[in-house]
This record gives sequence, C-alpha cells and structure tokens, in this order.
Amino acid sequence: MAREPYQEALADLRDDVLAMGELVGERLEMALDALETGDEVLARTVVEGDAEVNDLYLDLEDRCIDLFALQQPVASDLRLVAASFKILTDLERIGDLASNLAGYAMTASEGLTPEVAIDDIGRDANALLERSLEAYATGDAAACRTIAAADDDIDTLCQHASETVVRDLIELEADDGLWGVEQLLDDVSRVLLIIRDLERVGDHAVNIAARTLYMAENSTDLIY
Amino acid sequence: MTDTEPASTASQTTTTTAGETDEEVRAEWTDYRFDGQAKLSVENLNVWYGDDHAIKDVSMDIPENSVTALIGPSGCGKSTFLRCLNRMNDRIKAARIDGSVELDGMEIYDSNANLVELRKRVGMVFQSPNPFPKSIRDNISYGPRKHGDINKGLLARLFGRDDTAEETELVERSLKQAALWDEVSDRLDDNALGLSGGQQQRLCIARALATDPEVILMDEPASALDPIATSKIEDLVTELAEDYTVVIVTHNMQQAARISDQTAVFLTGGELVEYDDTDKIFENPASQRVEDYVTGKFG
Repeated sequence: MAREPYQEALADLRDDVLAMGELVGERLEMALDALETGDEVLARTVVEGDAEVNDLYLDLEDRCIDLFALQQPVASDLRLVAASFKILTDLERIGDLASNLAGYAMTASEGLTPEVAIDDIGRDANALLERSLEAYATGDAAACRTIAAADDDIDTLCQHASETVVRDLIELEADDGLWGVEQLLDDVSRVLLIIRDLERVGDHAVNIAARTLYMAENSTDLIY
Repeated sequence: MTDTEPASTASQTTTTTAGETDEEVRAEWTDYRFDGQAKLSVENLNVWYGDDHAIKDVSMDIPENSVTALIGPSGCGKSTFLRCLNRMNDRIKAARIDGSVELDGMEIYDSNANLVELRKRVGMVFQSPNPFPKSIRDNISYGPRKHGDINKGLLARLFGRDDTAEETELVERSLKQAALWDEVSDRLDDNALGLSGGQQQRLCIARALATDPEVILMDEPASALDPIATSKIEDLVTELAEDYTVVIVTHNMQQAARISDQTAVFLTGGELVEYDDTDKIFENPASQRVEDYVTGKFG
C-alpha cells in the first residue's frame, strides 16, 4: 500500500480520538459517582483532570489540521479527518460537562437529593456516548441512526425529571418549608442544571453519531 | 445525456463500498447529469495503437463553459482521449479510432469534416510550452493569419486589406485573456523564447485563444511550471471557463480538485471508471478503485 506513514497517521488519529472518548467517558462516570455518593475527593479529581482532556483536544485538533494542510486527504480519508475534527469538539464539551457535574457534587448540601432518577439518566447518557464511540470505531451507519432515536428517550426523561423537581419545590413551599428558602433554591437550581447538563451529554453523543454517519456514508441526515 | 436534471440526483443514492462490481458502479455514474448543454458528446470511443487497446469503449458528455478534468495514472489513456477530441491522433499512423465524437451535435470523425476548421474551434495547449521562435506578436497572430482572418504584408497592402490595426487589437486582447499582457506589453517584438516557462505557457494559451476557439484542450499545462506560474495558469483556467469549454488532463489530483467542475477518472487499460461532479469524486467516489486511486492507495 502506498503512502504508509499517512495511512498510519489516519489510523493513529482514529485510535486517539477513541482513547480521548474513553477518557471522557471515565470522567463522566466518576462525576456521576461523585454526585451519587457526595465523594468530594472524587469530584475534585474530575474537575482537576479537565486540563488533561483539554490538552488532548488541542493536540488532536492540531494533528487534524496538519493532515489537512500536509496530506490533503480526499474521499473516505477526508471524511474521517473532517468527522474526527468535529467529534473532538463534542468530546471536549462532554469533558466540560463532566467537570460541571463534579462541581455540583462538591457544592451540594447533604441529604438534599431530590426524588428524581439523576443517576439513571446519567448512566443512559454515558451509555449513549459509548455507543456513539463504538459506531465511530466501526463506521456503523445503522448504529448512528439508533443513537439519534435513543437520545429522544433521554430528552423525555430529562423533561419529566425537571417537572418533578419543580413540582416538589411547589409542594415543599406549600408545606411551609422544611429548609430555608435560600438553601432550597440553591439545591433546586443545581438539580435543574444537572439535568440540563446530562441532556447535553446526550446531544453531544448524537452529534458524534451524526458526524460518524457522514464519515461512513457521506450522509448529512443527522447533521442539523 | 444533455438532460438538465441537477447532477446531485445521481450522487444522493451512491455509497462507497468495496463490494460493488464495476458494472454496478458504472450504472450509477452513467446516469450522470449536469446543468447546461453538452459541448462535446463522446459515444463508444475505442482507440488502438497497433494491438494495444488504449481507450476502451468510453462514452461521456462534456458540458459547455466549464472545466472538465481527466485524471488517472500514467498510461491510462487520458492524453489519448484528449487528443481524440480534436483528431490529433489522426497524425499517428498506428492509431485506429472507432466511435463517435460530436461537437455541438456535429460528428467530428465524419469523412467530410474540415480538420482546419475543427482545430480552430478546438484549440490545444501542451505540457511543455512550445512557442514559435518568433516575436511575441507573431506567435499570437500566426494562427489568425494562416486562417486568413488577418491580412498583413506587402500583398495585403497592395490589395488595400492591411489588418495591422486588427492584429494589434487581437494581440492585446489575447494576451490580456491569458493574463500576460501586463508582463509583455512593452516588448511585443522580443523573441518569445526569452520569456520564462510560465510566461511561455501563457503565451501558448494566448496563441490558442487568438483563433477564437470554443473548446480548449490542455494536456498537463502546468506540470513543467513552478508553484507561482502554476497558480497563474490555474486562475486563468477558471476564468476561461466563463467563455470557453476547457478539458484538462492533469497528473496533479489536487489541481483537478481545485479548478475543475467535473472529473473523469481513467484507470489502467484505457477505461473510464467514473465521471461525476468534482466534489463527488474527491469526497465520496462511487467506485472503490477510484477511491483507492484518489486516496493514493493505488496507482
């Protein structure tokens, strides 16, 4: 096969995007654990580890630019580099969201976890990220389409969870308040932010699937 | 093949797959439609050099006022194909040509076709700049004088048909069209061989334009030039496509990608393997062989 160093650079890019995806997935998992257990040390590890994700992002972005400038990829090679270039941004954003979630875990007051299934939504969102990375690794176009559909379920769960939190708030107020109003507002807004961030993780997983579908089939069906 | 359906209809349904046969791939792109009219229509063209079957049953329409690139590895027949478009292969005794090439619906291989008229309408620029060892002015006016469009000299003066003013206008117009005027306007009577390689090639393009052609065939016009001269030729090709039909053979795939509207890929054996919009060829070719060629895995 001709252009071996170039072909190796393409293969390395794909492997390293996947490695970055795996790292981001681990950080998200740790953030969810920290939210569930209130483990501040774990949460701090995630927040401080975001710099590593950012460095990886900048390095991989640089490698994509080098490939464009120096190797002028075309056809499926072009689609791999172009898709990877966009997917990197989604992974970096998921890293930021994991960091946000860990931050919420550090500031949450004890015993105020509302009765919504944050942990379940989080695990679903992380599973969707994993599926999108698997699709990227194998160029599985069919999987990309099912990921977009699965995200609709996460959106529905998030919407229900937000409604539940607001309903609880109204009921607590009606009960004349067990906690101070300030504390209550802090906790409720924090939970709403957690729900919003988890919903965004799902959106980024769909973006990854959309770019993967472009990579595999030159289809822009999921890009909007 | 001159339907005005948008070209994108064919590309919507194609996928790059390793499993498709050449016949299936061919079925996809032979329906290729482009906007506008076909200037040249090639049907079932075959060329043999002795026993060597250099072009195998090629059919394609070339749209007017656009740039069509022919790419492929050495020996794939792309230059042979280009030379068929103004019957330059007629000059090669061992060459045998079968099939049809129509220019605006008129068969150029008809036994009654006027070759001088054909080559006036279909001009050619070659790989190495080949100006005549004459002045810059004479290089431009040589063709029109041969065709009798410009009369000059003692006899013309005696008959009261001196076209010196027309010649001056033609030389300036052709050199301006070839983006060379600013560099040579003060030395039109200098020998053309004193120009740089890039200038000589633009002079050859100006010379081709001077006979007022409709189609310009270019056989690797920039392969002997440095990057600056190459970019000037590339800009020029893009500009020329506003008024002319340009068909260009190039080894430089990035050049084809930069300047052409549609690309035809010839592969070893004189086969036209795929022909489509240039962005389709370089972003999502239908044929795995073309994919392997443009990505550099083969060829």
